[in-house]
Amino acid sequence: MEKYLIEKILPCIQADGGHFEFVSCEDGIVNLTFRGECSKCDKLDRCCKWIEERIKTDLGEEVRITAARRKPWFQDK
Amino acid sequence: MAQIKVERRSMRPEEYIRLRFGWLKRHIYSYKYEIDTFLIKDARQVREMEYEFYDGGEFRPLKKGDMYFTPDGTAFIEADFDIPDCLMGKDYSFVLPTTAEMMVKANGKYIGGIDPNRDRIDISDYIKDRHVHIEIEGYNRSKPDDERNPDNRSKRGCRQIFEGGYIAVVNRKLQSLIYDIEALLDVAYSGCFNEDFRELIEKELNTALNYIDYDDVRDEDVTAAAEHIDKRIFSCDLYKGDGIVELVSYSHLDIAYYWRRIHSVQKNMRTVLIQLRLMDKYPDFRYAHTQAYTYETLEKYYPEVFEEMKERIAEGRFEPACAMYVEPDCNIPSAESLIRQCLYGQTYFREKFGITVDNAWLPDVFGNSWILPQILKKSGVNYFVSNKMSTWNDTNRFPHNNFIWKGIDGSKVYACVPPTHFNSWNMPSQIKENWDAFQDKDTLSHTFQMFGYGDGGSGATEEMVELMHRFDKLSVMPETKMTSGKDFLHDNFDGRDDLAVWDGEFYLEMHRGTFTSKAKLKDCNRRTEFGLRDAELVSVLRMRQGKEYPADEIRDIYKKLMVNQFHDIMPGSHITPVYRDALEDFEDSERRLAALMGNDGNYFNTLNFERKSFSFIPDEKGKHMRKGVKGRFVHTHATSLSRAETNEQKSVGIITADDFSADTPYYKIVFNPDGSIVSIYDKELCREWVKGEFNKLHIYYDMPGNYDAWDILPNYVEKELEVKIASPLEYKGFDGECAEYEVTLATEKSSWKRIIRLFADSRGIEVENLVDWNESHKLAKVNFGCNVLTREMLCDTSAGFIPRETHRNTSWQQARFETCMHRWCDMSETGGGMAIINENKYGVGGVNSEMSLSLLRATERPDPTADLGFHDFCYMIYPHGGSAADAGVNNISLEYNSPVIKADVEWSGADFAPLYLQAVKLSEDGRRIVYRLSEQNGARGTLKLDKKMQILNMLEDVEGEAQTVEYAPFEIITLGEEV
Repeated sequence: MEKYLIEKILPCIQADGGHFEFVSCEDGIVNLTFRGECSKCDKLDRCCKWIEERIKTDLGEEVRITAARRKPWFQDK
Repeated sequence: MAQIKVERRSMRPEEYIRLRFGWLKRHIYSYKYEIDTFLIKDARQVREMEYEFYDGGEFRPLKKGDMYFTPDGTAFIEADFDIPDCLMGKDYSFVLPTTAEMMVKANGKYIGGIDPNRDRIDISDYIKDRHVHIEIEGYNRSKPDDERNPDNRSKRGCRQIFEGGYIAVVNRKLQSLIYDIEALLDVAYSGCFNEDFRELIEKELNTALNYIDYDDVRDEDVTAAAEHIDKRIFSCDLYKGDGIVELVSYSHLDIAYYWRRIHSVQKNMRTVLIQLRLMDKYPDFRYAHTQAYTYETLEKYYPEVFEEMKERIAEGRFEPACAMYVEPDCNIPSAESLIRQCLYGQTYFREKFGITVDNAWLPDVFGNSWILPQILKKSGVNYFVSNKMSTWNDTNRFPHNNFIWKGIDGSKVYACVPPTHFNSWNMPSQIKENWDAFQDKDTLSHTFQMFGYGDGGSGATEEMVELMHRFDKLSVMPETKMTSGKDFLHDNFDGRDDLAVWDGEFYLEMHRGTFTSKAKLKDCNRRTEFGLRDAELVSVLRMRQGKEYPADEIRDIYKKLMVNQFHDIMPGSHITPVYRDALEDFEDSERRLAALMGNDGNYFNTLNFERKSFSFIPDEKGKHMRKGVKGRFVHTHATSLSRAETNEQKSVGIITADDFSADTPYYKIVFNPDGSIVSIYDKELCREWVKGEFNKLHIYYDMPGNYDAWDILPNYVEKELEVKIASPLEYKGFDGECAEYEVTLATEKSSWKRIIRLFADSRGIEVENLVDWNESHKLAKVNFGCNVLTREMLCDTSAGFIPRETHRNTSWQQARFETCMHRWCDMSETGGGMAIINENKYGVGGVNSEMSLSLLRATERPDPTADLGFHDFCYMIYPHGGSAADAGVNNISLEYNSPVIKADVEWSGADFAPLYLQAVKLSEDGRRIVYRLSEQNGARGTLKLDKKMQILNMLEDVEGEAQTVEYAPFEIITLGEEV
């Protein structure tokens, strides 16, 4: 899962200025920490849903993404 | 009694006007037909024009309310429909509200572009048939900030909701009224126009809007409102504006930034297409477009649009601007790179359009090197344009807008630094602000304003042109004139030798971190620049032996370098994939250069002077490991452009040392356990070189805020991270040529190993740094406190040196706390000085008698992974007698950056000493060998050649011939010799 997310999904997210770090995958819950543009995006839930769909299509697994955000300090108001 | 502030909660007149304006805009379409046959397939672009499709690449229906677009996604959308009967023969438009960027084709022809700045294309003129087949290529890569609509972030995102697509009829009368009101609202509420006139507008606009019934907007009411505005506002000329502002339509296109280079192909195409369609509609509309590279991609991938553009170029309405191949960073690229930017740019414009562009149009570049005027002048460019210094300096207002720029060698070009930003949307207030901020009113009556959305392209909109057509009716505004860049520059500058002169670099008082961010790109840049020099020189010599000159291959590698010197790539101000792409390009270039060069034969000195310093020769049996390569240090014996002897020879001198001190043929040195140096006593010159901290590593907190990768703030010195000694300095031994020390420093997250090398046969002291860098918001610097009394630091520019004051007397010196250098910086007094020579660093600070070399940064925006990981780089401390020029610091730094190569070639003819042979190449037309010579030491003299040679400009045009060439300080001379 981690390999798939880092190799397949992360490049897509990064290409729009976003970033995430893999935290854990346990009991169908994938914990990701979102950074960059994702950290302040109010549509992040849509992307998480898309990631879940991609995982289902490509890996055949049903998971739920739990997103934490880490904004740069200067945007953390 | 205390004054109690009245807090108004009821609607103000301005709010009521804006509210009704919003209602009015809802009635813009008199007829709307929803297209319900949209199909979509999702893809991800992986290379230029290459896509990987999701889910088999099958189209699926796209309905209003559906989610569309994916992260880094390209969406291909199609629809088939018939134009409704009631619209046949009428004007109608295709409407699709979106925050994505789309190119639209109808029945096989590109009809226009849609993006966050425009949601409709007038299509009836381009469609002959009733049946319409729409094809859209859309990509969701808007820039992160939107100056005009800061709140529209809520609409944007990688995944959007489809709001439907329509064929609609625009109520042109109402549209015209909307443009009237848009202009007037800006005048009334921007705060920069006459207050009485603003009150008049508010009153009369209110009256005009009262004519409308917002539930049933009738044509006659719209006409009445428009007539009222015409009679009461536009006809009023009591309030006079002053000044003349010339307007040039332009769209800034970052080749890579928050998007990859592969995506700028479509961004550029969309932008050009939109501007061509505006030209179809508005006969007076003209547009300036920069960067030959973007023309190349348009020609390659969209030939039909390229041909259409060519026609507009021939008409003089579509203006190729900027002589350069891209809009490059103008701090870090070397002189030869900047020359090639002009050469490849101009060669393209000449070949394709028969024109030589006479301006360098670089609105967004982060400061400009002092070497530019000469390069521009000799590349057919008389005019320089850049907005950055006027709008972005953080300390001092740049004192001129239209003036003369005098370069390091004394060359002069006309310079235009427009008073306001290059991204503007042609509002009356923006034009007024431009005139108000114009600082050369005493010498010129015209100022220059660019308009059009930019950064990711897009450009002018219908609204901008329509507003421009109303400016004449607003007497309170400055007079305006739509023009071209070329016409503005010629009309206002030609013959004006009385303009103020700026003699110096264009130092941008901002973005000082870009000399250091993304250290590996800087390393790749320097190595590729020197690698290309060697490859061209060797290829010319092989051509003389009868082999073919690999012109296409070399040009291709050079163009890749040019693109990666773009002003958001090389400076490091970009997202993660842009960095990855650039590194891949450089790795590819390195492989191709290695293939061109080969690795056989004897060592050859490609420099046109005798080598005097040491070389590191890769050798499996060597005792040293330098930058991951095993080898040996040797004193290279090589005269100018000749075979180099690198046989192991013991130096005469010896080095004796222990863990804390060393005695070399040149110095007695005392170290601290962290590798910093307490004392360098010069045995030859009988003097001490160290005063204060020397070779001391500092890791500072580097917190510049939103412009993270761009900026270093002067407060970085206020707070430091403790750097501990993980393993104290240890003497590792002397092999007869080189003595080595090692020390490992560490922070909580990073380790920093330093290898210090002393040489028996060189005054240089090399420091190699092997860094596992895992910091966040830190700046690593190494300080050199010199026992030298000076008020200036010399910095190499790659073609001459610039002196910079190191005192802090005025705000101008205070603002220059971090500057750009190339191969070296130096602090000297009469009798001697200290040079710090580098192989890939560009940022340096100089305060009093201390230099601080910037080594690494760790920024998080735009790239959260920036600079993390392993780094291995060297610099050399070089104390010397005399001045930097007398001591030959230029040559030593060239030796340091350009090691001997393996190639069995022979040089014949003049070596052009004492000028530096900056480049040797086959001319672009293949008819002559081009020799580029650079005077680097500030000296004047005469070059006596053994035969007559052609005198060329930098575009390789023959301008004369001579056997004796006079050269002036810092002059760059180009000579030619027929093949």
